[in-house]
Amino acid sequence: MLCDICKKNEATIHIKEIHNGQSHTSNLCESCAAEQEKNGKLGALGFNLAEMLHNLGKISADAAHTPDSEERNESVLTCPGCGWTLSKIKHSGGRLGCPECYHTFEKIIRDALSGVQRGTVHFGKRPPSASGNSRAALEAELKERQHELEALVKREEYEQAAACRDRILQLKEELAALDGGKNE
Amino acid sequence: MSESIERLLKNPVSFLTDAGPDEDIAISSRIRLARNLAGKPFPVAADLDLRREICDEVAKAAAQSGALGCPECFQFDPEEMDAIDREILFERRLASRDFLARAGGTRLLVRDDESSSVMINEEDHLRIQTLRPGFQLDTVWKIIDRLDSELAKQLDFAFDDRLGFLTSCPTNVGTGMRASVMLHLPGLVLTGQIGPTIQGVNKLNLAVRGIYGEGTDNRGSLYQVSNQSTLGESEEQIIDRLNSVISQLIAHEKEARRTLLERDQYGLLDYVGRSYGILRHSYKLSSEEAIKSLSGLRVGVDMGLFNSVGIRKVNELFIAIGAAHLQKSAGRELSPAERDICRAALCREKLKHS
Repeated sequence: MLCDICKKNEATIHIKEIHNGQSHTSNLCESCAAEQEKNGKLGALGFNLAEMLHNLGKISADAAHTPDSEERNESVLTCPGCGWTLSKIKHSGGRLGCPECYHTFEKIIRDALSGVQRGTVHFGKRPPSASGNSRAALEAELKERQHELEALVKREEYEQAAACRDRILQLKEELAALDGGKNE
Repeated sequence: MSESIERLLKNPVSFLTDAGPDEDIAISSRIRLARNLAGKPFPVAADLDLRREICDEVAKAAAQSGALGCPECFQFDPEEMDAIDREILFERRLASRDFLARAGGTRLLVRDDESSSVMINEEDHLRIQTLRPGFQLDTVWKIIDRLDSELAKQLDFAFDDRLGFLTSCPTNVGTGMRASVMLHLPGLVLTGQIGPTIQGVNKLNLAVRGIYGEGTDNRGSLYQVSNQSTLGESEEQIIDRLNSVISQLIAHEKEARRTLLERDQYGLLDYVGRSYGILRHSYKLSSEEAIKSLSGLRVGVDMGLFNSVGIRKVNELFIAIGAAHLQKSAGRELSPAERDICRAALCREKLKHS
């Protein structure tokens, strides 16, 4: 097996990292591993756009040979918002063409994000225009957060689980406030 | 446009010259937020006309909301500026190289004290930034949160209930926030602890980047620590995590300096003295040597070895020795060799009475 970085030397060092429950293996030759370690990058491997692009490339290549219609469609999908295809995203260094791309390439982006981000659902600030304040959106998010909390506890990621629990409490309060408003 | 640059150059660089918490080790704290307009292609997929429209829309929103003190804020159109003026914006940390290299349809809005700015049509439609001195991410968050809310009243930002703020690169999706603190860590570098420290911080899912080079080869011992992940935690949680790691880094750096002083006092004094000597007596000074020497001088200033040189004078020199700033103060384009001569003259002059 060749080194992931120089693609020339035989890989003799194999590093397995588990991030958000997803495992990632890096195969490096001795000199590239030493270089990475010297620069303090070893711990950050597998945490970059390159991996995401690798995933995009893999999905796109697999799709060309797969009889599965859903996956094959992913490789030829065109975003209705900007006309971008998967190959265009790859050539732009993993940049998307427009907000709509997040829906068009949802499955691929979700897979790629799990290797890059600490969570899968947004916490934090929302713009005033966000529709998330409606009852249906709050209930949908509550359901999703409850599933996420179970998964986080199972993976023993307690710091993230605590944040998730806080958001669940907040959502319940917001729903209760909506009910209160209705009763008045 | 040129008038604006001249006016900007009269400003003291506030993130370096104002007092800030833990300023002996933490140089500055910065937060940037990536935002995009709903229903519009990201800058990478937008044509020139659309990018120009977006510039006008964002500038109008800033003027109407009074964000950044607009319409009285600085407004720069990089397309109309010469290379040196553009480089000034980079050296003052107001714009990225990527932004300045873009072909048209970009604009930069800057608050008159340079504490906050908005790059329009960098990788995202808006890159909002707040930059303050020292270690104070909580305060920086309060400032930028307010600024973002002011703009959000006028602009409809692309947002998804599940994924948060939608950004051109999915590595920024969610909060769209990158928070960072620039640290001066010569103690950890000189005691050989910097490599393991960087590895430790990386394992906590935070990034450490050398400002003038990576890892142990870093000139100037300046490092930027920032969050990697933008999705799955709130802005406050990300900042809390950074705060706790950076507080520990500051404590480690202080400990390393104490160790150096105890084990090799003359070695440390020699390092500071030689750095000062180079800055005070050179007639040709490359950017690399100047940065290295300023880093050494900064250690001496922190140790109280210099009466008339303050930490902020040293900070200011880090900007003033930049190629574009030197050429601006000379009033003409300088060759690299001429720059080295001007750089040495500037340092001699600034440290004359020390």
